[in-house]
Amino acid sequence: MKPTGILFFPAFDWAISPTHPEREERLLYTRDQLFEEGIMDLPGIKEYQSRMATEKDISRTHFCVPDVESRITKAHLVSAGSALVLADAFMRKEVKNAFAIIRPPGHHAMTVSHGNRGFCDINNEAIMVEYLRQHYGLKKIAIVDTDVHHGDGTQEIFYHDPDILFISFHQDGRTLYPGSGFMEELGGPLAYGTTINIPLDPGTGDYGIHYILDNLVLPVLEEFKPELVINSAGQDNHFSDPLANMNFTAQGYAILNQKLAPDIAVLEGGYSVETALPYVNMGIIMAMAGIDFSNLQEPGYKKENQSVAARETGSLDRIVKTQLRNFRSREEKVADNRKTGQTFFSYNRNIFYDTDYIHEEQKLNLRLCQNCGGYRSLSSAARQSDGAYYKIYAVNIPIYACEKCQAEGMELYRQMAESGKYDYIYLQDHPRDKFHAFNVKLLQEKVY
Amino acid sequence: MLLGIDVGGTFTDGVIFAQGEVIARVKQPTDERNIKQSLWSALDELLLKVDKDDIERVVLSTTLITNLLATGQGEPTALIMIPGYGMPYGEYNICEDTFFVRGFMDFRGREIENIDQDEVRDVLREITKRQIHRAAVVGKFSNRNHIQETMIKNIAKSDFPELDIYISSEVACRLNFPRRAVTTFYTAMILKEWNRFADEIETVFKQRHWNGRVEILKADGGTMTLDASRLQPCETAFSGPAAGNMGALALAGEAVNSVVLDIGGTTADISLLIEGKPLYASKGAKIDGRFTHINSLAVKSVPLGGDSVLSPDGDPLIRAYRLGPAACFGGDRPTVIDAFNVAFDLGIGNAAASYEKISRLGEQSGKPVQEVSRNVTDQVVLKLRAEITAMFREWEQEPAYKVWEVVNRKKFTLQRIIGIGAAAEAIIPLLAKDMGIDYLYHKYSPVANGLGAALVRPTIAVEVHIDTQSQKYSVNPQGHFGVIEKNSRFGLEKAKALALECLKNAAADRGLAHMTPQAQYYMEEQFNIVRGWDTAGKIFDIGIVIAPGFVEQFQGVIK
Ligand SMILES: [Zn+2]
Ligand SMILES: [Zn+2]
Repeated sequence: MKPTGILFFPAFDWAISPTHPEREERLLYTRDQLFEEGIMDLPGIKEYQSRMATEKDISRTHFCVPDVESRITKAHLVSAGSALVLADAFMRKEVKNAFAIIRPPGHHAMTVSHGNRGFCDINNEAIMVEYLRQHYGLKKIAIVDTDVHHGDGTQEIFYHDPDILFISFHQDGRTLYPGSGFMEELGGPLAYGTTINIPLDPGTGDYGIHYILDNLVLPVLEEFKPELVINSAGQDNHFSDPLANMNFTAQGYAILNQKLAPDIAVLEGGYSVETALPYVNMGIIMAMAGIDFSNLQEPGYKKENQSVAARETGSLDRIVKTQLRNFRSREEKVADNRKTGQTFFSYNRNIFYDTDYIHEEQKLNLRLCQNCGGYRSLSSAARQSDGAYYKIYAVNIPIYACEKCQAEGMELYRQMAESGKYDYIYLQDHPRDKFHAFNVKLLQEKVY
Repeated sequence: MLLGIDVGGTFTDGVIFAQGEVIARVKQPTDERNIKQSLWSALDELLLKVDKDDIERVVLSTTLITNLLATGQGEPTALIMIPGYGMPYGEYNICEDTFFVRGFMDFRGREIENIDQDEVRDVLREITKRQIHRAAVVGKFSNRNHIQETMIKNIAKSDFPELDIYISSEVACRLNFPRRAVTTFYTAMILKEWNRFADEIETVFKQRHWNGRVEILKADGGTMTLDASRLQPCETAFSGPAAGNMGALALAGEAVNSVVLDIGGTTADISLLIEGKPLYASKGAKIDGRFTHINSLAVKSVPLGGDSVLSPDGDPLIRAYRLGPAACFGGDRPTVIDAFNVAFDLGIGNAAASYEKISRLGEQSGKPVQEVSRNVTDQVVLKLRAEITAMFREWEQEPAYKVWEVVNRKKFTLQRIIGIGAAAEAIIPLLAKDMGIDYLYHKYSPVANGLGAALVRPTIAVEVHIDTQSQKYSVNPQGHFGVIEKNSRFGLEKAKALALECLKNAAADRGLAHMTPQAQYYMEEQFNIVRGWDTAGKIFDIGIVIAPGFVEQFQGVIK
């Protein structure tokens, strides 16, 4: 039996600020617990070493403004690189599954990165997905976001991508950051139904999450048939988390991972550093490695707190029915959207970066292609935290783009570079695995 | 004069070293059934050659504990564990007489669940009923708070005085509960036997009217006093490779990145010297397949030695065993050494015998003698090179937990092979040439183990874990727990000063007070404990060590 791969990278020398929840201490007690339990000595566990992600790895997913070097810290490169180490280990069949216990986290980071959003600068899972598609030819991948916060960054990155199934369950966005993740957010016109949101009432416990898992998440995965399942493994659903109001336990997390059986799990949030993280991380490892976790219990656990309110089951059932229907109608809906006769689908939006207080204005265009998921382009403008103002234009040609979309996307990049209306022009050319950044003022192009 | 003896599995070697030279040496086969006899006969042979009053210090290294541990021979010992919540108890399959009792401590040393004194008494009663007179007690996170282990010890003291109790917080105080359990269990099991041996050592020297300093070599390449070894006998296991590695370092003279290759009759032991320091096994020494808290060198043993037999059917050509000496030393079969002898005209022993056996081998496979011998030597080089490369890669793959460490990761370049052991002289020149690096084979290489033992200095390491919110600190490996005053300005400097103080105390306890100026910090970690948006305290982990090195008298080997 192959071992479970673990990469533990607590970034003991990195914090957003000394008392911020995302600080050096965050995984200290997890280290104590894992080391005291002797987890890394077990024959069923193989510990891996971090590496830095390259600028190209980052550019495959993000448009970093103005560039990767100045936007992204070394800590983020190591965190993202750690996920890639495990992706390699899994694809080379060295491990049966793998868990990256890493920080800084990433699931609030969107395609364009002007700064830090929800403690995230770059999206570790999304970077890993693009890496897996490029290096190992994977096509269909599912990301299940089990963090208490809506994984809005991951959702945004793959919103128009019909091959990436993104499922997020989280505390209802009306009661918690980032205030999104409602059931109506189902994916773009050509990727309808491959984004599934499951907003849960505050106070939902083990029972509720397992009800959702058994009746919605697992059936959807079964029907989508992904080649790889990623757990975007936040731990802030725990009853002791200071930033949220859910009622999940370490046992609950272990059973969740046993049922979901992710190929790769990547740590996201979770800020109950003493009462939850040491035990939840143990639970996830034990479940993934097939170790009996019946003796796992965190201090403060009370069985009576897990009794189920009737109200809870009613609303859960409604979510399950609605989202199963939405998911199962996805092909029909996409076909309808292609018949509208429009060539482009576009919208404007504002994105707020809570950590860095940045307001980004964005306009997105998606080509409503008859043959593929379409290429997308976007313009974005923001004043960054150091006061610098950037106006950029970016084109994304996805890996599955048809010839026409590829040609049009590249032509658009050339036109915009000559238009003089922007400071930087970017192109993600996934089919050729080339990533361009053009500095308009200096007339310099960098290609990764 | 410094005297060192290493009783290894195959050979016992010893030296007396003075003024840069080995002035007396002995090398003889070890009698595995009587290790002590091998030790005392080597000692007596050396003592004959000098005036014993000139000997300042004696260091002994033996396989006594290694063998005891390997064969599981020791006193019957029980293990009492306080695992609390976490891993299933089934994982702790350490010994037959294992008992689990209630109790739960967390990582901050907070008692989450108390022990049940009646349950403890029942367990102790059952242990004595089984005619077992010693027990190891190990609690999860007892290194952060020893109260539950101590309570069990006290209950035994008052109610079951015939039972000797060893608690893990006094034996090995680092994180890793299973390793603490294994280390404490084996310490309890072999302590009596080791103390009998320590008594014998004292008697032997008394009989020889010598009353200087006797030290015991440890697995980490340092020594400890005989008295200190009485409490921590497990540290004396696996000292042989440490002796060889430190002996090689003494011969090398400079701190270049080297691989130490100890090639004996049946095996080649590979260890590393990185920037002049021995490389440690990242997970501690293994006993009976289980990791321990014994700090030991990283050693890879490859079943390939000078006497490895060559087989006529050629698949594989080199066998992983020995059937007597090489043909050039009167053996009746061709061996690896014979092949080197022929291929490079080394003139070792009776070279004609080597030639004859290798030609016979050639006839059987229809190949000329030169081709057969070169085939063997190429395979030996290929195999050793692959093992050395794999060992580096493993070392380079060690996990790092800080951004700084990952960004500034060093790339290792190997500069030299240092050969020790009987067969190294013939093999390493070719290997070094193949790898494109230097090699060193010194005239003292055959007694490098004895030399290492003679020259190394004592080592001692202390790790202090300080929690200013709970106002407590704990010290590994002494198992000392202390209280700090409430002081909002307890910073890194104070934490380091406290660690130094702890090291001084530990050194004084071990008769090493004079060495504290050589202590170095090797770990300085601090974390803010934040509750809400305020800093509620700090956690420090400070490590300070008197690292492996040589005694002051040693100023190098005369070239
Ligand atoms: Zn979160
Ligand atoms: Zn297209």
